[in-house]
Parts: sequence; C-alpha cells; structure tokens
Amino acid sequence: MIKNKRAQEEMVGFALIIIIVSVILLVFLGFFLTRPNTQNVQSYEVENFVQSMLQSSTQCQDFYGYISVQDLISMCSSEALCSDDEDSCAVLSSTLTGILNNSWAIEQGSKYKGYVLNITSSNGEVSVITAGNITSNSEGTSQELPSKEGVSMGLLFNVYY
Amino acid sequence: MQAMVVIKMKTKRGQLKIQQMTIMLLAVTLFFVLAGMLVLVTQVSSLKAKSTIIQSDNAKLLVSKISDSPEFSCGSSFGTDMGSCVDADKVFNLKNLISEYGNGNFWGVEGLQIRKIYPDNNQTECTSSNFPNCDVITLIPGNGTGVSNFVSLCGEYNLNGQIFSRCDLAKVIVSYTGS
Repeated sequence: MIKNKRAQEEMVGFALIIIIVSVILLVFLGFFLTRPNTQNVQSYEVENFVQSMLQSSTQCQDFYGYISVQDLISMCSSEALCSDDEDSCAVLSSTLTGILNNSWAIEQGSKYKGYVLNITSSNGEVSVITAGNITSNSEGTSQELPSKEGVSMGLLFNVYY
Repeated sequence: MQAMVVIKMKTKRGQLKIQQMTIMLLAVTLFFVLAGMLVLVTQVSSLKAKSTIIQSDNAKLLVSKISDSPEFSCGSSFGTDMGSCVDADKVFNLKNLISEYGNGNFWGVEGLQIRKIYPDNNQTECTSSNFPNCDVITLIPGNGTGVSNFVSLCGEYNLNGQIFSRCDLAKVIVSYTGS
C-alpha cells in the first residue's frame, strides 16, 4: 500500500514537472512571437537624402546651367565664384540650410531631435551645419565625394531622434 | 472464498489505477487543448495588426526602390547616371496613362505622390507647363497612411528660348490602407 502511494506521488510529480515546463515553453513562445520588429527603417531614408541632396541644383550657375550641390562643394573648397560673382561657399551654405530645414523639421513634438552635416576636404572644413540636440539614437551615413584637382572630399550626415 | 476476495480486491485496485491514469491523461490533453486555443485566439486577434504591418513593410520597400524603376528613373538623361532620381517628364506621361496601371493596383498602393521639398512653391500642383515652379505631382490620389523617401526630381524646362535642366530635392510618398 505504501509502495503504491509513493508510485502515485511520483506520477503526480512527473505530471506537474511536465505542466510547468510546458507553461514556461509557451510563455517563451508567446514572447518570441509577439516581439516587436526592432529593425530600423530610416537607414534608406538618410542614404537617399544624402544622394538626392548632392544631385540637387543650386542657384549658382556656370556656362552650362545650374550647378549641383556636389559640384558646388568642390567649387567652395577651391574658393571659386559663381558666374554672377557670388561666393560659392555662401550659396552652398544657404542651399544646404534650406534643404536641411525643409527635410528634417526639428521642432516640438517632431520625431527628429537634431542633425549634423559635416563636409570636409583635404584642405580643411568646407561646411558644418548643425541643429537641435545630439541624442543617443541616431542614423547616419558618410560618403566620399569624387576628388577634383587632387583635393579629396568627404561628407558625414547624422540625424538624431 | 478467501481467494475470491483477494482476486476481487486486486481487480478493484487495477480499475482504480486505470481510472487515475485516464483522468491524468484527460487533464494533460485538456491543458494542451486550452493552451493551443489561447495561442490561436492571440494569433487570430493580431491578424489585422499583422496585415497593416505587412502593408507598411511593402510600402517601405516600394518607396525605397520606386525611383529606380523604368517608369520613374532618370537613367543618364541628365548627363551622368543618377540614382534615386525621378524624371519629371516620365512622371507627367505616367500621370496621363495611370489608368493603364490600374490606378495603383500595379504597385498595390492606395496613393502615390511626388512632393518637392526644396525650394517650395506654395504646394502648387505640377503640370508639364508650370514645371519647375510647382511642388506636387499627384499620380494616384489617396488618403491612407503615407511612407516617404527622398529623391531628386529632375526635369528640363524652357527659359527665354534656352533649355535648362534642373534637379530639386523631393519626396516620393506612397500611401496604403491601415493605420
């Protein structure tokens, strides 16, 4: 009789262990299935922004027409003037500020908290534009620009959110 | 007589054990059935949310690639081979032929719009005659949730008899149903 009771207790214990393990497995499974998608979707946006910005036309003209931001960067780096004798660096700065202000609105309630655009050449700093605050969450891209007359140039852009 | 009583008692104990096992098996089966139903109910209830997520992912994928599709891309029309570039002339032609693209069914979207970011011109709708002094090209009007991506909107225009080409920063906005 005592032997039988012990066997029954062992069976109940075994069943309890199975149930507890199953519950733990189900909890893990549920957690895994409902885990939010943490993939950052903004990376393509930042990369496309930089590429499109470099291709954008500025108010600075040469003999062939409007000069792109990318060409204006190398003009500014070599301190060249536009066809109407306007300073290429001043046009570059106003164009970049306008583009950045309209593209990444840094205001109360906005998901973007700040940005930094840093354009450098082997001669030194070409243009640095910052707005808002630097936070721990950021998305950014860097790009090497085609070198002209032996001057290499690079661009770094970071958006903070 | 005594032997009969012993056999009867042994049989009763055996029946009891079978009953215990049956109850145990039933309880374990019931537990798994209930747990399975719980998972099923959770999955079914989140189907709508999943459908919205899939639509949103599709829209993001589309918006990140659409500027490189033949209907939109500049190719090397503006001198060099340009990526993330939308040819305004192609878009105006596409707008006229949008019914042949099933008004969005071709891309599986609710709405499709190209909006100039800089310089802005008071949200004027673009036509081939007022380009580039305009802001918006609405290919498919739609009111769904929007997903956007940056592109260059490039086009040629006539100024005092001279042909100029110009690229402006713009956003392609794809809308889908759901929130």
